[in-house]
Amino acid sequence: MSEIGPILRALLRNKTSALLIAGQCALTLAIVVNALFIIVARQELMQRPTGLDGENIVYVQSMGFTRDFRPEAVIREDLDLLRRLPGVVAASPINAIPLSGGGSSRGYSKEENTESEGIGAAYYELDEQGQKALGLNLTAGRWFRPEDVQALPENTDQYPYQAVISQAMARKLYGEDAPLGKRLYFQNGQRSVAIIGVVEHLPSAWVHAENFPYSVVYPRITTEKFIRYALRTEPGRRDELMPVVEQALRKANAGRIIRLRTQSEASARSYRGDKAMNIILASVSGLIVVITALGIVGLATFSVRRRTRQIGTRRALGASQWQVLRYFLVENWLLTTIGVLLGSGLAVALNLYLVETYSLERLNLWYLPAAAVLLWLLGWAAVYAPARRASRISPATATRNI
Amino acid sequence: MLSMHNISKVFRTDLVQTHALRDFSLEVAAGEFVAVTGPSGSGKTTFLNIAGLLENFDGGSYRLDGVDVAGLSDSALARLRNEKIGFIFQSFNLIPDLNLFDNVDVPLRYRGFSAAERKQRIEEALEKVGLGARMKHLPSQLSGGQQQRAAIARALAGSPRFLLADEPTGNLDSLMARQVMELLEQLHEEGTTIVMVTHDAELARRAPRNIHVLDGAVSDLHVVGTPSLRAATV
Repeated sequence: MSEIGPILRALLRNKTSALLIAGQCALTLAIVVNALFIIVARQELMQRPTGLDGENIVYVQSMGFTRDFRPEAVIREDLDLLRRLPGVVAASPINAIPLSGGGSSRGYSKEENTESEGIGAAYYELDEQGQKALGLNLTAGRWFRPEDVQALPENTDQYPYQAVISQAMARKLYGEDAPLGKRLYFQNGQRSVAIIGVVEHLPSAWVHAENFPYSVVYPRITTEKFIRYALRTEPGRRDELMPVVEQALRKANAGRIIRLRTQSEASARSYRGDKAMNIILASVSGLIVVITALGIVGLATFSVRRRTRQIGTRRALGASQWQVLRYFLVENWLLTTIGVLLGSGLAVALNLYLVETYSLERLNLWYLPAAAVLLWLLGWAAVYAPARRASRISPATATRNI
Repeated sequence: MLSMHNISKVFRTDLVQTHALRDFSLEVAAGEFVAVTGPSGSGKTTFLNIAGLLENFDGGSYRLDGVDVAGLSDSALARLRNEKIGFIFQSFNLIPDLNLFDNVDVPLRYRGFSAAERKQRIEEALEKVGLGARMKHLPSQLSGGQQQRAAIARALAGSPRFLLADEPTGNLDSLMARQVMELLEQLHEEGTTIVMVTHDAELARRAPRNIHVLDGAVSDLHVVGTPSLRAATV
């Protein structure tokens, strides 16, 4: 490293190529750091805990079209049939599919007639098997009993008296206070329900919404021609049971259209955009890194060729192969370091722009040293082959007329 | 100082073998100033490359300052070059991006001297060749003669046992060539061993000892003046 001074002074006399590589490194760092930050943020978004047994849940949608279709009776028969199928752990009617992008929500508050401090939350309607059907983890209170569940038509003023809420919603509304027994008020309305239980997680239908972790569950079955069931299979039997379920329901009542959808499909569909964006960002970042590496290789190769006589002279004056190799590694390290310093500033500036314009999160500054280390390694890997070729230049080159 | 016995060097291509040196033998004692002359293609540069440990040889033996160089590793040869030999090249071979101070510093850094010692040696060497005031100049800011003097300063700074000069005045006009030659003579008078390869017969005559190389072998010996010398002939 003792050569840093002369190398730096020599670089300053060849500003164009030095700036080219340093600038390329700076741009790479700025773009890749922000891209990685976005990728990781989206990855974390996609990996948030859902509390659902995602791999084993199937939703069955039944749309009755015959005139004599009697929803209440059909629901009763269907549930009886589904729960008796071997391999089905539990089944419950459900009004909306978590993480699917479509569902119902409402504003809630902890006090009556207040417009302040309310929060929006998804609401679900499940029966006594709902907890088991979704694989939810109850952390306080109890789940609904059969006698709690009310079968009601869609447009009615009647509402159940109890609710189970998600833990995130409980914390948001009541802080550290125990939510059990407290009343949950519908915002801008007189109605309220008593909280009888808390589940660890139950996400809303909207994966990008701020109220993603807030949800309320009522013990209710909406008796309409469009019915949706959530059923949970024994682990690993979901795909095997899906055609069995469809066939059994068709056989039980042919006057309807049946569609099956898994929780995995619903989640994947909601996160499709995030996944695609991550693939694009990762590909572009990878491409930029490759282009930068090729740029370093190209410039280093050119530099070695241009300095063949000079390298031969250094060898003649006593430089060992290792010392020549080290010279190029140090030179590249210096250029990369200039790029890292410039790129760090650029990365922060780009992030601030993204924060201002697209409301992204502030960059975690730990990304900068991590990216610097990666860029140094990339630079060394890229310059190694040309540097190795340089170190093999014969010292006799010094006396040749090139 | 330099003892070569029956050195041979063959350059091979797929079609041709060229014997650059055949049974080349030469001894140079400490303190000698030897001029090596010969026509183009006679093997002068090959001799210089082998003598300067820049190139390997195929046969024979070579001892430099008592060290048998055959079979030495690349790094050992580099160390030996750095410690024992000062090179003066026809095209000066200064590094264009470094000023004179940094140019002279190059071999000293490889030697591992401390910063203080390097500074002292660089300043002394540049003063000696009359370039003490131009340390911060780039080679491109100097005349050819000054560049060659700077190259001599670089060769001298590490206090080598002998100087190898490859056509040191080949790229200079007569005035500058004379100045450089006077500098080499001064160094010789101070006890430095010098081997100089040159085309210039007049310049060669100024060296106390001449050898002529022809077809890869020493063909003629000519001693001007004194020193204790012994040359093996073919």
